[in-house]
Amino acid sequence: MSYPLSHKTVFVLDCSPAMERPCGHQFEMDSLSKGRSSGLIPLAPVTKTMWTCAVEAAVEYCRIVWDIYPSARLIRLIANGAQAVSVNDWTAADQHLTALMQQLAGVMGGVRSAGSQHSLHAGLAAALHALGEPSEAQRADRAADAAAKVMNRGRVVVVSQLADDGQARRLREWFADALLQHNRTADGAAGRLTVHSCELVLVSVHPDTAECPVTPRPPAPLSAILSGSVVTAKAGTQLAPMMMNLVLSHYELASTTVTGIPMKEEQNSGSSANYDVELLHPAKAYESILQGSPADHAHLRTRRDGCEYETITLKWCTPRTSSAELHQCTSASRVTPVDVNSRPSSCLTNFLLSGRAVMLEMPRRSGGKFVSHMLAAHGGEIFMHALGSGRSVLEDPPSVSEGAGGRVTDYRITEFGRLVSDNRLAPGEASEEGGVPLHAALERLARHTRVWPMTLSESCLAALPSLDSLTALLVKDSLSTDEVLECKKAVYNLVSMEARHEPLPVTTSGARGRGVKREEQYRALWSELEALVRAHCRSDGHQAALECVLECRSQGRAAEERLGLDQAMEELDRCGAPVQDSPLSPPPTKRWRRDRPPAQLSLLEMWNQRVDADNALKRLEFSGRLNGGDNNIVKLYAKLDKDKGDDVKK
Amino acid sequence: MPTVLALDVSLSMSRPVFQQDRSEEPPTVRQLAIKGIHALLNHIHHNCKLEFAALAVYSSMYEILGSFTRDFDQLKSRLASLAEYDKSCVETALLGVKAVVAEEWGSGTACQVIIISDGSLGVGDSSLRQLVAGSRLHLPFSFPCRLDVVLLGERAELERRGAPAAFQRLVELSGGEGAVHTPEPPLSAKSTLALFRRLAETNYAPFSGVLHCGGLSSRVTLCPPPQTYNRTRDFEAVKRTVSPELRICGFLSVADVASPPAFSRHLVLPAPSESGDAPGEPCSEEDENARTACFCVLLHGGLKRENAAALVNVGEDWYGIVYSWADNKKKANLMLSLFEPGTNVLPWLGDFTNLGPAVPGAPSPFPIKVSRKRSYQQTCVTWTRQSGLHSDVQKVLRHARKLPDKTQNFYKELNRLRSAALSFGFYQVLESVAVILERECTLLPGNAHPDCALQLTHAATALRHPEHRQPGKPIQPLSTRFQQGS
Repeated sequence: MSYPLSHKTVFVLDCSPAMERPCGHQFEMDSLSKGRSSGLIPLAPVTKTMWTCAVEAAVEYCRIVWDIYPSARLIRLIANGAQAVSVNDWTAADQHLTALMQQLAGVMGGVRSAGSQHSLHAGLAAALHALGEPSEAQRADRAADAAAKVMNRGRVVVVSQLADDGQARRLREWFADALLQHNRTADGAAGRLTVHSCELVLVSVHPDTAECPVTPRPPAPLSAILSGSVVTAKAGTQLAPMMMNLVLSHYELASTTVTGIPMKEEQNSGSSANYDVELLHPAKAYESILQGSPADHAHLRTRRDGCEYETITLKWCTPRTSSAELHQCTSASRVTPVDVNSRPSSCLTNFLLSGRAVMLEMPRRSGGKFVSHMLAAHGGEIFMHALGSGRSVLEDPPSVSEGAGGRVTDYRITEFGRLVSDNRLAPGEASEEGGVPLHAALERLARHTRVWPMTLSESCLAALPSLDSLTALLVKDSLSTDEVLECKKAVYNLVSMEARHEPLPVTTSGARGRGVKREEQYRALWSELEALVRAHCRSDGHQAALECVLECRSQGRAAEERLGLDQAMEELDRCGAPVQDSPLSPPPTKRWRRDRPPAQLSLLEMWNQRVDADNALKRLEFSGRLNGGDNNIVKLYAKLDKDKGDDVKK
Repeated sequence: MPTVLALDVSLSMSRPVFQQDRSEEPPTVRQLAIKGIHALLNHIHHNCKLEFAALAVYSSMYEILGSFTRDFDQLKSRLASLAEYDKSCVETALLGVKAVVAEEWGSGTACQVIIISDGSLGVGDSSLRQLVAGSRLHLPFSFPCRLDVVLLGERAELERRGAPAAFQRLVELSGGEGAVHTPEPPLSAKSTLALFRRLAETNYAPFSGVLHCGGLSSRVTLCPPPQTYNRTRDFEAVKRTVSPELRICGFLSVADVASPPAFSRHLVLPAPSESGDAPGEPCSEEDENARTACFCVLLHGGLKRENAAALVNVGEDWYGIVYSWADNKKKANLMLSLFEPGTNVLPWLGDFTNLGPAVPGAPSPFPIKVSRKRSYQQTCVTWTRQSGLHSDVQKVLRHARKLPDKTQNFYKELNRLRSAALSFGFYQVLESVAVILERECTLLPGNAHPDCALQLTHAATALRHPEHRQPGKPIQPLSTRFQQGS
């Protein structure tokens, strides 16, 4: 396994008395309590020491690297006092800003007490020693395969006030010798790695008020395994931007300025103004967009004051609401703001961390613009997604309905949707047998799809909603007693449906048309059910369910057989007694079951019987009718007739 | 991947080719080349329906006869009317290719470049040898490419002139993928066609595989065919090819996968049935295919309905997602996005092998939170600019002016400033803040709470006290008798 040069970086920060001198750049403090009252004695400005400038710049370097590369890019700090003091270690726990700040405060008192001037050799030796120590990843590599050659490379950045070019040269020469010496001894010793390649960056700082006695040198090879460079900076004003230049080149980062971020004014919350925020991220975020000649995208680049690098300006687009959309993304890079605590920066980062995404527009050289990137946070980290631009080779794709199976209309989409939601993934724990969680997911998916008809028409079972609970239970790994009962209930439900001769839902478009007999449908349903349960027979509970199905099925068959017998008898009767089956013959009543009404009653008669019975319960019968004799006919107003008759008689 | 054909139209291409069969008029090299291009385009059309091709001709100048299109008949018709030009110069061919690709695809799309020539190296300053020696060739291209060179000539004659070696150098400069092809001797229509057919079969082999989802599966083809992943990354060199077995492991919601970066994207199309790969298949068979249920359609419907994506294992430690994708809103289809090879390539999903069955109904476990906060998520201190220092001192002052209500916040901010100053070795700022607090004390109005003056004086004294220059000794609020009453 090869490790890049940026895997390990060691900072050697000189804290000799020269570095304790003020940097010459003053921070004005008076304005902080101005406006309260006038006529006060002005506050004295504060000045950092060169040491403070060096520590701040190194910490800022670490902040950027660890934000963008949370692992595998390690940095150690060594304070070079009377003796070299290692501030932190290669361990993952130490590679974090909070930990580093605490450790710095811890060592600060110790190294500063030394009074006299001392050489940087102790610090450089400690840096080499640190490079020889394996990182956690390298240790794991060696543990996995002792014979494997671990490419061990690293970078040493020294921040000190160098006297002249001669001192820089002597330091380089001393370091080159020490490196060879280190590799000679490291080969044999266990736990110490050879440094295969190394870069030495000498950063010479001087007070802002002084002239620089050292000439900068661009990176150049010093030996086969060592290259070196010298950079110079005024401690107060130039060191921090210069460290930014270094971090950009050391880790192949690029800078993007998001422009036009609308932000409420602090003083006047009604109005809003547009702000810019500069972000750093790996240069690969522009890999697919900014190739070709530099002139093509010169219009995007600007140089910030005091910085050697260029920043690319992209415009903020007010975000749309739909986030559940997959963009065509070619890369996603972590970002970190350059000025992390400024109000515009924290506004932007908080906006993103709250879950919203921002699209960024890139102007075209020819005019117009296109959405080139998206800023979005995932799990507390902000990423810059590079989006596909230009023409896609996938343009004008065929529709899924134009391909194979596209004309089928009765897919079980809803049920497949349920399968999808039942087979979602989530981070899991490795099982005791050592199987990875993904295997468990694959097994579950296999269980869920063991028997899975794709269309409604190819399955009776699928068309029956009452059996969904059964299917849902069967795909489980094992069944509890209650679940077996549930299964049985579903099966019994089917039995009773059949007994009631309930029609099965039949799809109209499928091969099984309306012409198929109900009995045949039930027969197909039962065999499909048996196949389903049999396929899932993986536990005692499943076995119990299978037995239940088999039992019910055999009963169903017996009933079918009885029915068959009846038909046969009927036919036999017809064939055996043709003479009696003449129109004159009395109707065959002997096979009517007892609970059925006799066949000679007409429908009207049956109806009347029922109505009479009902009425009898509701009111008293007219007494005339009760006494009415055989025909239930009573002559009304008999007395009138009688009186008439009397009158006539008169 | 899209194809650019660059045809040499210099005068030497119009030479007749000696044929053993003298019954026919001897064809020119150019006619042979055109026949070959026709065969190649036909092959692409039948096997890779969605591929694009562009056509350029070159001599000492270049001309784009047809930019990228799927309408190959249009390209063929352009070939029918070609003029004859002067000498051959490969440099212009490369310039033409570069221009047409840059205009259509930018630099992110891999392209297949095929240069078709009679193997003349050009003369004088613009000859291939001079160009290579002076490194005046614009290679490698800004886009990933495979460069093939077809030299139509008698093999022995070409080798005598050193043409294959010279063009091989061109291939190497372009990145090394590709080769120089020469027809089997003798040069004839037959051997030319055989060469182009071979080239088509190796470079335009359709992908054929099976998409599995547990017990369900479908034969599929990926369009465009996936390329081999061969890159040197920070810590290792990785080479992977897509396996013909694509296995769905489970499903994720589209919101959770959150626009992941893809190495490449491919349409997942159901493969035509075994019998149906002959060109010009009867219409009824196509119809039959469309009416037979296919898992791809079901999967597409289900994924679209649930707004989900299926996590697919495509090879050793290589994963991707399949989801419903629409170019415009009307035509949706299944799309496969291949991630970078590796199991831990999307930090917000975690290691893919660590994804197991989710409990149905449980809230989404994604995105996976980072274990340690980034600088922009915590209150880190940077004082490289004056504004950073000022805003931190301002915070202390804001709370100081709201004493005694904000006593806790005041000391919290004060200690934050104190520990940062200790980490940076910036002791002068502690003195300065102590002075500012004392000044605040003198500015207190007459009706101020008595605790204000006490706390401010206490804090100012403590900032100067050597004990509080120790990192583990934060400044504690002064306990006063006023605190109970307030």
